[in-house]
Amino acid sequence: MTAWGLAWRTIARSPARSMLAVAGVTVIGALLFNMLLLSRGLLVSFRDLIDAAGFDIRIIAAQGSLVHREPIADAASLADAVARLPEVQRLTLVRSDSAQLLVPGRAGPGFRVAVVGTTGAAAGSVWTIVRGSSLPSSAVPGEPTPLIVSPRIASELHLEPGSEVRLRLFVAGTASALPLVTARVVGVGAFAFEAAGDDTVATTIEGLAAARVAPADAAAEMVLVSSRPGAGKAAAAAIAALRPDLRVLSNDQVIEQFNENAFSYFRQISTVLSSMTLAFAFLLIATLLTMSVNQRLGEVAALRALGFPRRRIAANLLWESALLVGVGGAAAIPVGGLLAIVLDRILRQMPGVPTRLHFFVFEPRTLVLHAALLGATGVLAALYPIWLATRLPIAATLRREILS
Amino acid sequence: MNRIHARAFAAAFLVALTVPAVTTPAAAELPAILVSRQLAEREHLRAGDVVILATNADGSGQRRFRIDGRYEPTPDPVRFTARRLEARMHLPDLVAMTTDPADPSSAEAITAINVRLANPGDVARFSTAMVAQAPGIAVRPTVRARDGSDPFAVLERFHVAVAVVTVLGSTAFLLALMVMRAEERRETIGIIRLIGVSQRTILMEVLVEGLLIAAAGAVFGILLAVATQGAVNQFFQWRYDTALVFVRVTRSIALQSIAVSVPLGILAGLVGSWTLLRRDVLALLGR
Amino acid sequence: MNTPIIEGRGLTRSFAMPAGVVTALGEVSIRVDAVDYVAITGPSGCGKSTLLHILGCVDQASAGSLAFEGREVGALTESERSRIRLTRIGFVFQRFFLLPMLTAWENVELPQAEAGSTKADRRARTGELLDYVGLTDRRDHRPAQLSGGEMQRVAIARALANRPALLLADEPTGELDEETGAQIATLFDRVHRDGTAIVVVTHNPAVAARAGRHLVMKSGRVIST
Repeated sequence: MTAWGLAWRTIARSPARSMLAVAGVTVIGALLFNMLLLSRGLLVSFRDLIDAAGFDIRIIAAQGSLVHREPIADAASLADAVARLPEVQRLTLVRSDSAQLLVPGRAGPGFRVAVVGTTGAAAGSVWTIVRGSSLPSSAVPGEPTPLIVSPRIASELHLEPGSEVRLRLFVAGTASALPLVTARVVGVGAFAFEAAGDDTVATTIEGLAAARVAPADAAAEMVLVSSRPGAGKAAAAAIAALRPDLRVLSNDQVIEQFNENAFSYFRQISTVLSSMTLAFAFLLIATLLTMSVNQRLGEVAALRALGFPRRRIAANLLWESALLVGVGGAAAIPVGGLLAIVLDRILRQMPGVPTRLHFFVFEPRTLVLHAALLGATGVLAALYPIWLATRLPIAATLRREILS
Repeated sequence: MNRIHARAFAAAFLVALTVPAVTTPAAAELPAILVSRQLAEREHLRAGDVVILATNADGSGQRRFRIDGRYEPTPDPVRFTARRLEARMHLPDLVAMTTDPADPSSAEAITAINVRLANPGDVARFSTAMVAQAPGIAVRPTVRARDGSDPFAVLERFHVAVAVVTVLGSTAFLLALMVMRAEERRETIGIIRLIGVSQRTILMEVLVEGLLIAAAGAVFGILLAVATQGAVNQFFQWRYDTALVFVRVTRSIALQSIAVSVPLGILAGLVGSWTLLRRDVLALLGR
Repeated sequence: MNTPIIEGRGLTRSFAMPAGVVTALGEVSIRVDAVDYVAITGPSGCGKSTLLHILGCVDQASAGSLAFEGREVGALTESERSRIRLTRIGFVFQRFFLLPMLTAWENVELPQAEAGSTKADRRARTGELLDYVGLTDRRDHRPAQLSGGEMQRVAIARALANRPALLLADEPTGELDEETGAQIATLFDRVHRDGTAIVVVTHNPAVAARAGRHLVMKSGRVIST
């Protein structure tokens, strides 16, 4: 009989105990799996989100941050200069404000919305049209401000392409009394970075300026740039040379910043919890195996007396550990997947988290890491019981077993 | 209303230059600032040093200040990953630095006012009155009930979910261990039953044993948590260079842990010994 | 002169106890040849089992020398001693020590697999041994389903699995009734007749009577042979 065959028989001889041990490994393994998913989940998800937006360079003012952006001086001339760069394929200016959105003829305070003003190239990236059409490439004088609304706003206010709404912008930090501006819904769009509970609308830069009752100066707080294939670094360098007073960030740099600041807490938590989970699994498997060996000292001594070498006894125990950890670890994956859905749903309730951002994201390498960590833990946990079993004094143990 | 302090972490701080720390009459006449511990350590600043602060990256709008001391920034859980490179100065000094001569109103612009009420219970009334008098401002109490979407409420739910999973896993293991212990004692229990000890007595013994083990385990667990909270806090405080406390084992948490683990331990002991209690004497003795 | 299977000279075994050193075996010399059937008797605690464990390379003497088939046991590694126990010595214990999760067949087959025997050889040998001990019809039964005598017969079959030169038995009838003990004693006779040397430690006079040589021990020493 092979070592693993004997190990299997040993485990199967106490089905209740073995099933409970496997259940324990499954649950702890599922938690470990989740923590490994969490360690890179935000990073992977955010990268997908950023890359899917279709732009690979972001230009912001040197002051402020990616989240709290300051206006860019001379944004219009910057846009012209950048657009002329041979490495650049397309760009869009972005400016945001908040506003109150009202439907004519309907009572109530209306919706508080975030307003994103862009130039035409944002279509298909900052938002994805669900129905209707995108914003026109330039404003038509005399026409109502064109608007893209989110599906939630469209659903709550029963808006369709062609519906007319009123918009009043807020100016942060002051009591303001800007007039209501008429806007027409041209399309319903899903906004890539919209958080749950947020409501976003988009219009043209000119439309936003009109709502501010300000000249259409193409003021912007961010410029999104899409470079030609393979020309990302060159484009970034060229833009930085054009305007050294601004910060030019590639997607990788954006992700790195978020990784270092916003995501680092979850990475640390995942490291701490992963370590604790492994320590827990180690402790429990070692205790189970040690107790199992202590219950079978007579058998072990008899096997040694019959001529079974130490390495065979060690191999049996290693296989016992491997079977417990292996079966439990395999079952941990689907359980961990379900748990990830639950934990992801909890964490995504945080304010400001885009609905398309996930904390737990599956990568094949996670499976490999999970297996390796659990495997190593199983081996380490078996070391002390192996030491006990291989070092027991055969004669004294036999004597004790006979007398007991 | 308390004396107003404005925290000077406006847009473009630049500590451009440090003049050697000599208390010259000129230095003594300079306006005083306090720098955060993190900034002081990073730039090797001491009390008495003279520094230049500028509002623009190109160095324009600069003024000289004398460092009067350092302070530990109040840990902000929402911003704990941010490096607290900041300074505090008197509000008139900040206004003098940042005012746009072309905009008279900028001399009166501030970002926030901290208020301590004579009667803390007046928060709601005060908030309403302020908003009515000055539309467009936001009035927030520093202590507020967490709603479901508060980041810390979300984190708490996350940690509770993780704790529930951990408890489930450890319960499975605990049951396995209890089943093993019961198997070990099968013959002993059989002999005890054989000599006439009742099932009830054995049940009481199992319950008491379970209670003692569970209580000892709970106490040990709490002591271990208290011992390791220091290590966890030290790690995160070092990692993020903050005085924020990340883990605190409070009395309430200790009591909750005991309330969960002790009944679980007793239950596990009972369930593990169930077959012992139910089997007849001969079966226990293997006859 | 033929090399004895086992030859011990001046074998001493001491144990350090909290109350002081206890000498379980004091300068015992013994020789077992290929045709020997030796019974070792004596009161409890006289060192019989200790001597048996030393002869079986399960324990090591504190002093003296032991040679197994001419090889000095003290000079062997633990791995080499294991190999001797597996292939040259068979052990039968008072409490049988069968693996409870294996059937009778699997218990007998186990040492053969460890010794590297092929599957076909193991099948043939296991069937032969179970037939030898009269338990062919119980081959698929686990120890819990066997009586004490049946378990001991399976243990004897297991001990003979690798055709050992020497069978060592420590109180093989200690847990059995008189009738079953007699059956086991008869089986030992047969094993001896078929060419295996036997050393048996026993309290059972019926078993001791069947041996060709009889060593009586007291207080760690052989007092008569």
